[in-house]
Amino acid sequence: MAPPIYSALIISLGLGTTMTFASTHWYLAWMGIEINTLAIIPLMSQNHTPRATEATTKYFFAQATASATLLFASISNAFLTGEWDILQTPNTLTSSLITLALAMKIGLAPLHSWMPEVMQGLSLLIGLILSTWQKLAPLYLIYQIQPTNSNIFITLGLLSIIVGGWGGFNQVQLRKILAYSSIAHLGWMILILSFSPPLALLTILIYLMMTFSLFSSFMLTRTTHINSLATTWAKIPILTISTPLVLLSLGGLPPLTGFMPKWLILQELTKQDLAPIATLAALSSLFSLYFYLRLSYAMTLTMPPNNPAGTLPWRLNTRHNTTMMSLTTTSTICLLPVTPAIMALLPF
Amino acid sequence: MTPAHFAFSSAFMLGLAGLAFHRTHFISALLCLEGLMLSLFIALSLWTLQFDSMNSASMPMILLAFSACEAGTGLALLVATTRTHSTNRLKNLNLLQC
Repeated sequence: MAPPIYSALIISLGLGTTMTFASTHWYLAWMGIEINTLAIIPLMSQNHTPRATEATTKYFFAQATASATLLFASISNAFLTGEWDILQTPNTLTSSLITLALAMKIGLAPLHSWMPEVMQGLSLLIGLILSTWQKLAPLYLIYQIQPTNSNIFITLGLLSIIVGGWGGFNQVQLRKILAYSSIAHLGWMILILSFSPPLALLTILIYLMMTFSLFSSFMLTRTTHINSLATTWAKIPILTISTPLVLLSLGGLPPLTGFMPKWLILQELTKQDLAPIATLAALSSLFSLYFYLRLSYAMTLTMPPNNPAGTLPWRLNTRHNTTMMSLTTTSTICLLPVTPAIMALLPF
Repeated sequence: MTPAHFAFSSAFMLGLAGLAFHRTHFISALLCLEGLMLSLFIALSLWTLQFDSMNSASMPMILLAFSACEAGTGLALLVATTRTHSTNRLKNLNLLQC
């Protein structure tokens, strides 16, 4: 793609999210979200393959519907209460409709069906932007709604954790696995949103870090299938150590960082007398752990059937810029002992 | 719920149902999307007219601009889909299944 067009699209992506973050009026927030959607569509279909075009089409329909519903709910709220302010959205039917529209934006169950197919059709870099940057603006809006009625959030959260785990069970395509992992983690985030918004913020930040690290590992070796994951030992041997640790952190195992949000969420839910929901969430995330473990197994614990020493690959001189990847991988593995400091930093 | 609110709400719901249950062609989904945007345009114009507030008079026009952009994007995707999938039937979008 020509550099001026490419930079215009990237700047528009930044502009859209910034507009939504800076707004107190629902209309301006909607405009920022629309700019984000419009800016990423050419980026998604830039190589004009059939899969990319199909993924872009499905993404466009899902996001356009969700944006229109968001604006409709805001206008209805204005007609009913006279308020356009985001922080003054009272707890009515329109607030629930806004929540559902934003849930469709970020791909929470039961509004998640576009997510795996769209991720499958994209390149890993654009999939990374989709999983991380595109989620920021809707999440900020959901964070600001601050409801008192928690039923819809608990339903969305539990369904997302179950669907995210169960859906990824039989997948061998890495991008679909990443999509289902995104659904599950956002489910954990929205589960705790009505009880403790700072914990939801912590969950989303740690999820963004972990998924950046995993995407970067896959981008280094250009793998999109479990079969090609198994050849990582020959290309970049250090990845066979770091990526399984990142995967287990995504699965939420102590002593890795991914345990931190799950632990704090289970503690908060128990304090709110919702122990059965906490149990259900914890047990459902075992499904996700299964496919993370399968990826680690394929990467680290399998032996190729031929003579390993006799099949050295071509060591072409490529320039990998691994700064961000090493930062996020280190944070994904080592941050659990710093939990008290992080909790002191968040506004509890 | 005032009659005006009911009017644009039902128009929106009809368009949303059309978008959700379209069965054959891509272009009918795009038309329903335009119908959604039209009902929202009417809603914002009614807001300005009923409450005589000049503050929000620009909202329908900005909505029109964004809606036109979205329509253009949708049509470009229609053309791209027809080029890569040889048809605009929605059943042909099946490359990315599990």
